[in-house]
Amino acid sequence: MESQTQARPDQDSTAEQKLQKLRDLFADAPQIAKTALGNMAQVLAAHLSEPRSRMESAGRAGSRQGQVSELTLILPFAPGGDRRMRALLQAQNGSFEAADKVGTLHDMRFVFVDETKLIFATAYDGDWDAYIDDFATKIPDFMDLAFSAFEGWPGIQNTTAVKDWIADHQYTAEGWYVASPNLTVPQTKRLEKVGEAVDEFLDKIG
Amino acid sequence: MPQVSDVETLSASPSLRAPMLELSEIQATVLRQRPTPYYGSHVALRIDDPRAGREFIRRLTPHIDSAADWWEQATPWLSVAISYAGLEALEVPQSTLQSFPEAFRVGMAARARELRDDGVNDPKNWEPLFTDGQFHVGVSGFSGSEERWRQVMAVARQQYEGLPGVSALTVEDFAVHDGRNSLGYKDGIDQPPVEGSGVDPLPGQGRPIKAGEFILGYPGEAGVPLPMPQPDVFGRNGAFVGFRKYQSRVGAFNRFLHANGATEEERELVAAKLVGRWRSGAPLVLAPDHDDPALGADPKRNNDFVYVGDTHGRQAPFGCHIRRMNPRDTELTRLTDVNIHRLIRRGTTFGKPYDPDDLSEAADEIERGAIFLFISAKAMATMEFLQQEWIDDGDFIGANGERDPIVGRQEPDATFTIPKEPVRRRLRGIETFNVLRGGEYFFMPSLSALTWLGNLDG
Repeated sequence: MESQTQARPDQDSTAEQKLQKLRDLFADAPQIAKTALGNMAQVLAAHLSEPRSRMESAGRAGSRQGQVSELTLILPFAPGGDRRMRALLQAQNGSFEAADKVGTLHDMRFVFVDETKLIFATAYDGDWDAYIDDFATKIPDFMDLAFSAFEGWPGIQNTTAVKDWIADHQYTAEGWYVASPNLTVPQTKRLEKVGEAVDEFLDKIG
Repeated sequence: MPQVSDVETLSASPSLRAPMLELSEIQATVLRQRPTPYYGSHVALRIDDPRAGREFIRRLTPHIDSAADWWEQATPWLSVAISYAGLEALEVPQSTLQSFPEAFRVGMAARARELRDDGVNDPKNWEPLFTDGQFHVGVSGFSGSEERWRQVMAVARQQYEGLPGVSALTVEDFAVHDGRNSLGYKDGIDQPPVEGSGVDPLPGQGRPIKAGEFILGYPGEAGVPLPMPQPDVFGRNGAFVGFRKYQSRVGAFNRFLHANGATEEERELVAAKLVGRWRSGAPLVLAPDHDDPALGADPKRNNDFVYVGDTHGRQAPFGCHIRRMNPRDTELTRLTDVNIHRLIRRGTTFGKPYDPDDLSEAADEIERGAIFLFISAKAMATMEFLQQEWIDDGDFIGANGERDPIVGRQEPDATFTIPKEPVRRRLRGIETFNVLRGGEYFFMPSLSALTWLGNLDG
């Protein structure tokens, strides 16, 4: 949860210092790990000295790369919540119109660990709580329908409590990779359209 | 209903419905708009002794104007607001301090990451007033006449002068005769309509927004009141204020206009495209090709438009200032309730008036700009949203990678796009025209809350 995590990546030490720290930690690792670290030392040193991009905080909880942030929740089911949640997801069969409308969500996954808890993970654009208030007035029923499956959901109307509830169940990723950290969902959609238009144009003149 | 004596200065007219809000409890500044011309001062005060501070509040409270008859602008009015450091200095109970939202408690400078106040806007470049933790109380006076402004500020001064333990740190005066800001635009036109305030919205203001979005203790747009500082008597009918001071870089602004317009007519069109209104206030959607000063001057017409006929942004560019700050019916890329991201603005322009011939770099440093009071029941959250989404980004409205041309903090080589047939025009080299000089969050309590505060001694 938010208080346990937030061990921010060490961005001040040099590549050599980072590598030395790894060597120290790998001292009691299996031989196969030590050999691998030795083989990779040069490549790692180069990567560590010139990182392609940096992980930063997404705000109250979570990590962010460029425009894209990650959110991982481990949510305990309310009584009967697992059955309701499973039925809701099966009824949707992969079609999430509300998520389309939201416009910041790159993906969502709902993983049933067992009948007591679910992992919800998503990649989204921007900062942690920018649009939670909008959910309360624009898609309140969708939010309450889905999240009332879980223990302690305060109801979307109470956005302050909702934000606390999310933060209480959120685990910040230590590692967070995004292939195109500067492409938001609207930009991706725009590029798709541009690509189609270019093809159409080439077809016409070709 | 009260008689409207001076229709010209009014930007709203009383409706026949009785107000639902407890107007006599709410401070006038929350609802009352600036007149034209306007005069006033913002006084920053420090409290060194809690008892003296509470005595000051006790003395001042009878002179703070309520919003009863707020649509009347004939008299000058005073308002008061207190920062978190100020509440601590006044020694309000711990339970009250802890009932405030985190962003308020840590203060505006500490929220620089969330507010995107970086680069030239970084708090390390701010005036000391906003970073040394001494800006405890802000008293603002507004007036339609110079004489009454001086009178009302003298009244304010009498309440703290000679009181050991209370000191005035700075006094910022403002006086504007023509209602124009430091970049030469008529400003303060589009304000959010507050439901139950007793006044019908002006044409184009849209439906009234639930009062709880702006004033604590009433239901908001989600149907429930927002969390309120405690006890109830302290929180109810109060509002939060984001106080921001900007320096206008008039030289940079004029140089940008000259780089992109060979004639005065071309430059005025570029200036209009940046804002979405001509300098007169006439909106581009209603006057796309030429200024219409009569339209700009008419409060019944100058805000009466939507964007349904301008879905490509060929009249008002998607990235222009007013379309960002109130997208109205523009189709946005993200699920957004426009009505929950509005702020009541009390903008006050200070310093040398706009001069289109100020082209030098030295002109950038001439003291002039604006002090804003951004008022709402959740001003901290709204300002962070606006800075992140609508000001220092453009994705939400299809102005990819661009920022607000007026209040955005621009990166090197930034652009501003003007949609046009057959192809868009992209203006390069847009700079930060308004640089943040500092800011702080305040709580503007109700009149009963001020009485409660002043009498904490028992």
